[in-house]
Amino acid sequence: MPGKTAQQIDAEAADWAARIDRGDLPPEQDALFQAWLSEDVRCLGAYGRMRALALTSERARALGPDFDPAAFTPAPFSAPARRRLLQWGSAIAATALFGVGGTWQVLRQRGRFSTGKGETKVVALKDGSVVTLNTASEIQVSYSDSVRSVELVQGEALFDVAKNKSRPFVVTAGDTNVRAVGTSFTVRRLETAPVQVLVQEGVVEVSKPATGGAPVRVAANSMAEAPEAAPIAAKPVPVAQVHRQIAWQKGQIAFEGETLTEAAAEFARYSDTRIVIQDPSLAKEEIAGLFKATDPVGFAQTIAISLNAHAQVGEGEVRLTR
Amino acid sequence: MSGVCDERAVWLGRFVLPHEPALRAWLSRRSLGGLEIDDVIQETYTRLFQAESVAHIHDAKNYAFQVAGSVVIDHLRRMKVVALSSVPDLEYLEVVSDEPSPERQVIDRDELQRLAEMIARLPGKIRDVFTLRRVHGLSQREVAVRLGLSESTVEKHMAKGFLIMLEQYGHGGKVPPRPSNLATNEGMRRDARKDRTTD
Repeated sequence: MPGKTAQQIDAEAADWAARIDRGDLPPEQDALFQAWLSEDVRCLGAYGRMRALALTSERARALGPDFDPAAFTPAPFSAPARRRLLQWGSAIAATALFGVGGTWQVLRQRGRFSTGKGETKVVALKDGSVVTLNTASEIQVSYSDSVRSVELVQGEALFDVAKNKSRPFVVTAGDTNVRAVGTSFTVRRLETAPVQVLVQEGVVEVSKPATGGAPVRVAANSMAEAPEAAPIAAKPVPVAQVHRQIAWQKGQIAFEGETLTEAAAEFARYSDTRIVIQDPSLAKEEIAGLFKATDPVGFAQTIAISLNAHAQVGEGEVRLTR
Repeated sequence: MSGVCDERAVWLGRFVLPHEPALRAWLSRRSLGGLEIDDVIQETYTRLFQAESVAHIHDAKNYAFQVAGSVVIDHLRRMKVVALSSVPDLEYLEVVSDEPSPERQVIDRDELQRLAEMIARLPGKIRDVFTLRRVHGLSQREVAVRLGLSESTVEKHMAKGFLIMLEQYGHGGKVPPRPSNLATNEGMRRDARKDRTTD
């Protein structure tokens, strides 16, 4: 039966959804239903969409028996309250909420902390500051009475700094210092790129003491880069990008327009399972979405469906082909 | 029973359905090569249903956009009328989501509010049937007895209710007129669909 319109298919899908809403179909009806589903590639989707609504609408039970649709008047929408929830809170809140396999560690004044590939760790420091370590990262904490020093030995960490004006918080990443009083920021020190500082809240000062230049102030929703042989440069970044860049805190990786090749490189930070892209046209496909950082296979399978490619899982790798 | 998994339907209802107005708006700004938006939406859901697992999808909105984009691209490629180089792959994959936050997708109170509004907007008998079935949790048979209707009438009212609600849901509360299936674009659509049905 070729050439049905989307509207006809929707109407038929609604009929099936209403029949199935009565209970399981008897065998002869089910055979008809299966036949209908295979008539057109759109039928399954149309039915699935109808069924999605049918099941979602069961939540109307929560309205209670006193709900009178005839007397119902829409209540005002509380957008501001919702928005607030989305504002970036503390690392603790996010991690506690999403609990994505990160571990907690509490310490005294000094210590060394590290994560393996694919691991994140939340370190609560004695002064109330919290450090969240991303994959393959290491910090060395050494507090004194006058200064709270943390060295980022490698990798990436988010610092939620407790306010204390008389005792500044200083993160050292190679030759770069990041000085804060009370704020929230991320420092990234990878071999392949200059040290990056991303500020979510408050203000920090980024400097390179050895070269003697003036410290650069970096405000909230800004990013500074400290290349080896060039001055420190800071620029504002959109809030959405800030959120994407710290998605790892929830165990996620966010993409928005990166190529599949770039995405594979990002996943390599979190897992030893490599994503191998064989088709050059596939390598250039741009992708978007939030994915579980430690699951390159799941990512490859998901992306294969949306790009009409195939994901083949092998030893220590997953291959994407067209 | 049907090979159609309710668990997936629940997931779609919760994470994809709420984004349909945005998805439709996005599609409406793009060349669909003779397909209707509804065609693309249906096939998108088909692919979402066929996906082996959705457990690792954290941003269902972006994912649905991406799948819809690939539905259109595949269709444009099959048409072979358009030079392949002119297929705007990137445009379809450049999905702009203002805040890719999973939290936003789970706002129970607002969802319930929306559901209440949609039920309230259903026409007379359909609303009565729907309220008894969904708010009071009666079976279709019990609804039939209560309202003095036949069971098949109750079933028809439910079907109509689903259609109306989805229309509202999909278009963000506004109910647009459906395009008539006639004249000018009918031939084009049939051509457009010819190779769809065969694969």
